[in-house]
Amino acid sequence: MARPGILRDWFLIRRDLPHRRRLALAAVSFLLPITIWCVVSYVPWIWHPDVKIELSAEREGVTTVFTAGDHVSPEFFPEFQAAVRAENKAVLAAREAGNPESGAKRKNQKLLRQLAPVAIGNGWLAYDDAQNDAVLYPLWGDLATGRKTAAKPALTAENLQIVRANWELLAAASPVFAFAKLPDEPLLKLIPQGRPANPVYLPAPHEAIRAGIRDFTAAAPAGEPTMFERYKRSLRIILLGFLWSCVIGIPIGILCGVFDFFSRLFEPFVDFFRYMPAPTFSTLLVAVLLAGDAPKIALVIIGTVFQMILVISKTTRLLDPSLLEAAQTLGAKPRQILGRVVIPGIMPNLYNDLRILLGWAWTWLVIAELIGVKSGLTEFIETQGRFRNFDRVFPVIILIGVTGFVTDQILSWLHGLLFPWAGKSGAFSRGVAGVVTWPIRMVAEGARERIAANEAYSRTNPRDKTR
Amino acid sequence: MKTILRLGSAALGLITTCGLLRAEPLKIAYSDWPGWIAWEIGIQKGWFKEAGVEVDFQWFDYVPSMDAYVAGKVDAVCMTNGDALVTGATGKPSVGIVINDFSNGNDMIVAAPGIGSIKELKGKKVGLEEGFVEHLLLLTGLEKNGMKLEDVTIVNTPTNETPQVFASKAVDAIGAWQPNSGQALKAVPGSKPVFTSADAPGIIYDLLYVSPESLEKRRDDWAKVVKVWYKIADYMRDEENLDDVLKILSARVKISPEEYEPFLKGTYILTLDEALKRWEKADGLGSVYGSSKVVDDFNVRFKVYEKPQDTAKYLDPSLTKALAAGK
Repeated sequence: MARPGILRDWFLIRRDLPHRRRLALAAVSFLLPITIWCVVSYVPWIWHPDVKIELSAEREGVTTVFTAGDHVSPEFFPEFQAAVRAENKAVLAAREAGNPESGAKRKNQKLLRQLAPVAIGNGWLAYDDAQNDAVLYPLWGDLATGRKTAAKPALTAENLQIVRANWELLAAASPVFAFAKLPDEPLLKLIPQGRPANPVYLPAPHEAIRAGIRDFTAAAPAGEPTMFERYKRSLRIILLGFLWSCVIGIPIGILCGVFDFFSRLFEPFVDFFRYMPAPTFSTLLVAVLLAGDAPKIALVIIGTVFQMILVISKTTRLLDPSLLEAAQTLGAKPRQILGRVVIPGIMPNLYNDLRILLGWAWTWLVIAELIGVKSGLTEFIETQGRFRNFDRVFPVIILIGVTGFVTDQILSWLHGLLFPWAGKSGAFSRGVAGVVTWPIRMVAEGARERIAANEAYSRTNPRDKTR
Repeated sequence: MKTILRLGSAALGLITTCGLLRAEPLKIAYSDWPGWIAWEIGIQKGWFKEAGVEVDFQWFDYVPSMDAYVAGKVDAVCMTNGDALVTGATGKPSVGIVINDFSNGNDMIVAAPGIGSIKELKGKKVGLEEGFVEHLLLLTGLEKNGMKLEDVTIVNTPTNETPQVFASKAVDAIGAWQPNSGQALKAVPGSKPVFTSADAPGIIYDLLYVSPESLEKRRDDWAKVVKVWYKIADYMRDEENLDDVLKILSARVKISPEEYEPFLKGTYILTLDEALKRWEKADGLGSVYGSSKVVDDFNVRFKVYEKPQDTAKYLDPSLTKALAAGK
């Protein structure tokens, strides 16, 4: 039985697939990892080895304070709950015995804030306003009387009961928040709530997106750059580093490729130097260039320029020798060969080399930003990673990836535009190139015509030339 | 000729006066110990400007902050009294002018689940910064339990990396201070502190150490810094400011205020009166002099450095005393 058309001809040995199929596969190559990420994150019975705390409680005499969003092991979580239940039991026992502890105002104030993650999750409170007692206090009442019902996360029956019990005491004291009027005896603590979650280093896609949007839109804390300033600073370092590498590397690379003299003079040392990992120079660079961006840019240069010299000299050597022979036969001088034959000849390949080297420079950026005073996007990744806020780290890593990918795609497209003869251009970019270069071509054509006319004139009037 | 010389010296004098008038801000390196994070309150509230002193507080990791001081990039650095001796013996001496606090539990040796005491650390690996304050804490703990230096293997680990290293199970215990030790406790459920500075209070004092040249040249400016510190200490002591204090301090180390609150107990910030008592020369850990002497003996015994240091040279209570007298 013949297979239907759509299933046929996917696996052709050394032959390109039709354009549409290639596009479809390119899309799938992105969708595949994203789908895996979603499946692992959202299908509850796959993995999920941790418990993510949605509502937390502080324990007496323990300095480790868990807050909503922290991950704990499923073995520890029941212990945590049990510890809080035991504390509640003790409070109730003391209350019944008629000698409750006193001086618990501050403790109660913190206890009331237990509801903050619930309030934020349900949209009753802004994300950065978790200590807004004036809003949180009446919320206890609303939840106790059923005027409001928490949906994400929903309160357990046990916790609802605690809310009601606490509100009885609170309502008797004051309908609105006033520190002085808080009960003096301890209230009951809400029992921690949690849900199964993946390890902290693999946040779900929506968590990463939410954190990313928050980080990129929210105002930065006092004295810290915003995300866009960080981004700009990172880009500045990489671009300056790369530009300086080009300024140094391209001329030397071309000279090495053309003249054996320069090749022998530079390449052995460059070959040796490039094996010294650039990060080993970091402390030295900081000592010489002090803090600020200078040592960072220098690190990117060190990491890039030596490879650049070698790659470009190789590209130069690969230029079709028949071009050089032809030029020499026509009597071109070395300087003319360099300027008129070699440089235009290697341009398309040189451009591609630079594209790859720019990608190379990106890898040094991360290390460069860690030396001296940490800066830019990497500083953010570093600090947030240290505090295990990986949902905030992912968007930044992806941003760096997207930046690199998009720049490379644009540069690749420009390649067709700049070097239409190199044969990798589509009809569209050729069209654009045609329009952009039109004035230049017109001028050049005019010049050519004038020269031709002059030559024709001198040929018909040979005497003019001798004069 | 003489006139030229005189003119020259006059010009030189003029230049130096101009230099003094446009005095550079005092460059102070600080790091993530709760007693030093407290400077943040003065910075954010603009109290230094109010007091008429230009300061430039630079945020570092702890050991790099001392490196920066030794390299002469900053005029002052926040160190423990022990590490000031280490830095002095191996790099550059300094003079402590403010006692911020003494460590009262925030410095910890945190051990992996299953290790319940210092004694059980025998033959295990401990990640900490070699030669610095947590090393001292560990050695104190070992000595109190009748153990030897060789009973544990030290893995040199930057303090801010200890939580990750501990979570990776590459070591069995770590030495770190809050907030790093707290991160480690959180990262490894079931781990617990087996020895803390609360078990040896007074072994670790935290001070502001100034370079002797800068102290000599700009004594008045440093006096203003001391004054601002006690404004901060008083502000923190007032319970009404608690939420504001927690907000400022926790933001500096990027954790939540709830997580930060327990640190206040583990770092005992000294008010002016309390500090004066600690400045009195006496033996024992109740005095910063006594403590420094104890630590110096210790460092020599455990070969952190070779020669005993003149510990009194590292301490100068005069600015604090002058402030108290002026009140």
